[in-house]
Amino acid sequence: MASQEGLTLVEELEEVVDEASGKICLPPCQIACPLGEDIQRNNGMIALLPLDPEEASRQIIEIGDEIYEKNPLFPVCSYICGLCEQECNYKDQTGAVRRRLLLRFLIEHYLPYLKNKSPIAAPTKEKVALIGGGPGGLMCAYTLSKKGYQATILEKSSELGGALSYIPKYRLPIDVMDTTLNNLVRIAHIEVNFGVEMGDGGKTLDDLRKEGYRAVFIATGTPSPRPLTFERELVAGADLEGLIFGLNLLYDANQGEVAPNLFQGMRVIVVGGGNVAFDVARTARRLGGDVSLVCLESDDKSSKDGIPADVEEIEGATEEGIRITYSRGVSKIVGENGKFKKIECPRCTSVFDESGFNPQFDKSDVIYLEGDVLLITIGQGPEGAFLQQEGLLDERGRINIDQLTLMSNLKEGIFIGGDVRRVGFAAEAMRDGVTAAESIDRYLKGEDLRAGREKEYMGAPIPKRAHYKPQPELAWLPVEERLNFEPFEKGFTTEEAVGEARRCLCCGPCRSCKACITLGIQPGPPSIEVDEDLCIRCGNCAFYCPYEAVKLESPGVASIDLASCKGCGMCVARCPAMAITLENWERERISDLISKLSAQIKRPSILVFRCKWAVLPPLDGEFTQNIRAIELPCAARVDSLHILEAFQKGVDGVLIAVCPDEDCKREGGSREAQRLVVALKESLSQIGLQDRLHLCTIAPRHPEAVDNELEEFKKRITDICAAEAA
Amino acid sequence: MIVTTLKPLDEILNFISPYKNILIVGCDGCTQPPRGIREAEALSQLLELGGKQRNKEFAFKVNTLVKQCDSYLTAVALTDMIDDDVEAVLSLACGLGPQTIAILYPELPVFPAQNTVFIGSEEREAGTLEERCAACGDCVLGLTGGICPISRCAKSLLNGPCGGSQNGKCEVDPNKDCAWALIIERLDKLGRLQDLEAIQPPKDHQAIARPGKITL
Repeated sequence: MASQEGLTLVEELEEVVDEASGKICLPPCQIACPLGEDIQRNNGMIALLPLDPEEASRQIIEIGDEIYEKNPLFPVCSYICGLCEQECNYKDQTGAVRRRLLLRFLIEHYLPYLKNKSPIAAPTKEKVALIGGGPGGLMCAYTLSKKGYQATILEKSSELGGALSYIPKYRLPIDVMDTTLNNLVRIAHIEVNFGVEMGDGGKTLDDLRKEGYRAVFIATGTPSPRPLTFERELVAGADLEGLIFGLNLLYDANQGEVAPNLFQGMRVIVVGGGNVAFDVARTARRLGGDVSLVCLESDDKSSKDGIPADVEEIEGATEEGIRITYSRGVSKIVGENGKFKKIECPRCTSVFDESGFNPQFDKSDVIYLEGDVLLITIGQGPEGAFLQQEGLLDERGRINIDQLTLMSNLKEGIFIGGDVRRVGFAAEAMRDGVTAAESIDRYLKGEDLRAGREKEYMGAPIPKRAHYKPQPELAWLPVEERLNFEPFEKGFTTEEAVGEARRCLCCGPCRSCKACITLGIQPGPPSIEVDEDLCIRCGNCAFYCPYEAVKLESPGVASIDLASCKGCGMCVARCPAMAITLENWERERISDLISKLSAQIKRPSILVFRCKWAVLPPLDGEFTQNIRAIELPCAARVDSLHILEAFQKGVDGVLIAVCPDEDCKREGGSREAQRLVVALKESLSQIGLQDRLHLCTIAPRHPEAVDNELEEFKKRITDICAAEAA
Repeated sequence: MIVTTLKPLDEILNFISPYKNILIVGCDGCTQPPRGIREAEALSQLLELGGKQRNKEFAFKVNTLVKQCDSYLTAVALTDMIDDDVEAVLSLACGLGPQTIAILYPELPVFPAQNTVFIGSEEREAGTLEERCAACGDCVLGLTGGICPISRCAKSLLNGPCGGSQNGKCEVDPNKDCAWALIIERLDKLGRLQDLEAIQPPKDHQAIARPGKITL
């Protein structure tokens, strides 16, 4: 039970291995998250936040602390990442569970707390240098620090964040980033040296070794904007006035070094089709420009040549009045009097072929786009000179590392990761940081760097449901109110966050989640047994299981896969032979509870059976005299035998309180309870007891509705008892 | 399988009220909905509560056995269940169960808890039990695409449909499919519509002499 001392993880999360494939089974979101955040578990705990706001806030901080263990940059991720949503099983139904907004809901409570979060134990082991203070370097430093190493970040610029400092403030508020990074440095005892140049005129790896660093992680990112090329030749005109690299604009805008109306009255053309190009275009729009964007890719995102930017970016930009010209390259930049005037844009007929990026053009189909400013944002690359000088590149100029451990194949103790290795998402750079930290730990301990690290995962399938709940719409400020650098996406209220977390279907195995155990819904992972001697081979368990956890093995005996079972009890309810036992919710155990409670209650006595997922308040106050409740793991475990037993033991009324069907956390649990009660009432009506049984559906988190139902039912039972006595 | 419905509790209570020690016995055979141990337990609880309303106290023993229509299996199982205390038996099986037990225990009153209604199939997706066989003794499914017109047509027509077939539904009950519309649709799919051109003679209702008896 969620005690006053707070949530505590009573058991370690386990890896559940699929027997057939040997792969580790996890929910697809968790596999998609480069940091392997326990998304299902977090959702389960958000879904059951207590009604009391202070207690809820305290639990949110505990959920945040759990996430922080794996990912101290999650407040930043809550604004910029959504990789898990790409793989959410719900995506193909009604839309992914909005993890990003759920995280953002958490940080509203978590960020203020983060400022006072206690630091971890001070490191005492060897010194390790991290070159580059971006997501990769920070994450590596944090992970090393947790393992006891002294981590020092050597950053060229005067601030931390790396590529994060290019993200416009309307997408990532500056205070969120600053609070996250500054507290990370404090909490993890990370030493940060700014203004450290590596390579030409700066330090060498040898220098670092002499300074006592026993290993180095190079995560210098890709700070160099890629210039425009056409058919592998540089496009001339880079020196024209009005021609700017988009990345530089983003950096300057975030530093507050550009005038708020920089592009007022100007026609701005952005070249590029990635998310960064859209950041640039929307930043230029916010600086007053009349912006259009041109890209090689087509508007069909599903095709091989589709535009890579996110749908939300494209939609947002279009709403803001940014025009997009698809399937055009830039073959010529034309200037006039030293100023940029226009670009020549032939139609792009194909972007990718078997060899990869290899754009083809139809030069007979050319248009010209005129403008005052040209912003080039077609990607960026690493600064290769330092790696070259240190002999870390192969003969073809590529970084030569073991891709599993990230250690250089050319120099021991040197590790390379993040965008400099492969351009990707921030979270992917962060994963490199974690990977490198693990490798460095093994390296410094003299252990095998590779052993046991190649793991294969399989995504758990989506549980079948009669209806999939709709995805909440993103709420953006209207265009006229958002053309500034304030965030414009509305976050969740507590009610909305809980609703969205409840939408999560908990696809993954219970043993690698255990949210229910932490929350006290289940004492342990579900354990179900089928007594083969009692089984009559009817197949009900397999047919009615919402999680496809039951298989019928010839000649019809049920076998239950505990990796898929969620312990709802549906099979128990549907088994005519009473051959199935759900551990902790056995018939006898509940019977004993009924005996115990029925002896305690004063008449007119009421016994309530309720689902723990319904988030109902504890029974207190005026109700305690006459009412007791038995909590079940799911409405599906409501059993007519137990209801009748309560009446047999002298209880005057039985109330079943479950969530409405659409709010049922498990599939069909509420429906099953309703079906059962209707059938039982029909039988009870023949012996005049029908009014003593009542089922009510109460939307989760509506305690007032529970009180009303209890009040009314108590009145009804009081009247029945009075009539009986008369 | 044989489909049953629970008798009104009043009727059952009337049967058993003269007795106190009663064996309630379920059947794990083909009875649908399942009338096994869970159903037997629930019935015992309802009868106890119903008895209380009548100021009548029962002492129930509750059990189930594999097939009450099998006299051998039932005899073996009941040996352990029936002792000197048992005054009456209440059977949850179809109409066969009480008869088997009555023969095995001529001295003991046996009562049915069920009304046996038809031979039917369980459609689990729809959650229904539907009559599909009339035990007519002269199966015509080979001619009718595997759809039984005897049990599924309200008139048991052999050369249907009748004029009351409307949009694939039966005029007797528009909630039910017209069996002959289904037969035609199915034979059409099989490319065997021409089979229907032969007129079927009136059904031989003496295909099996009643009461039926087969010697093994």
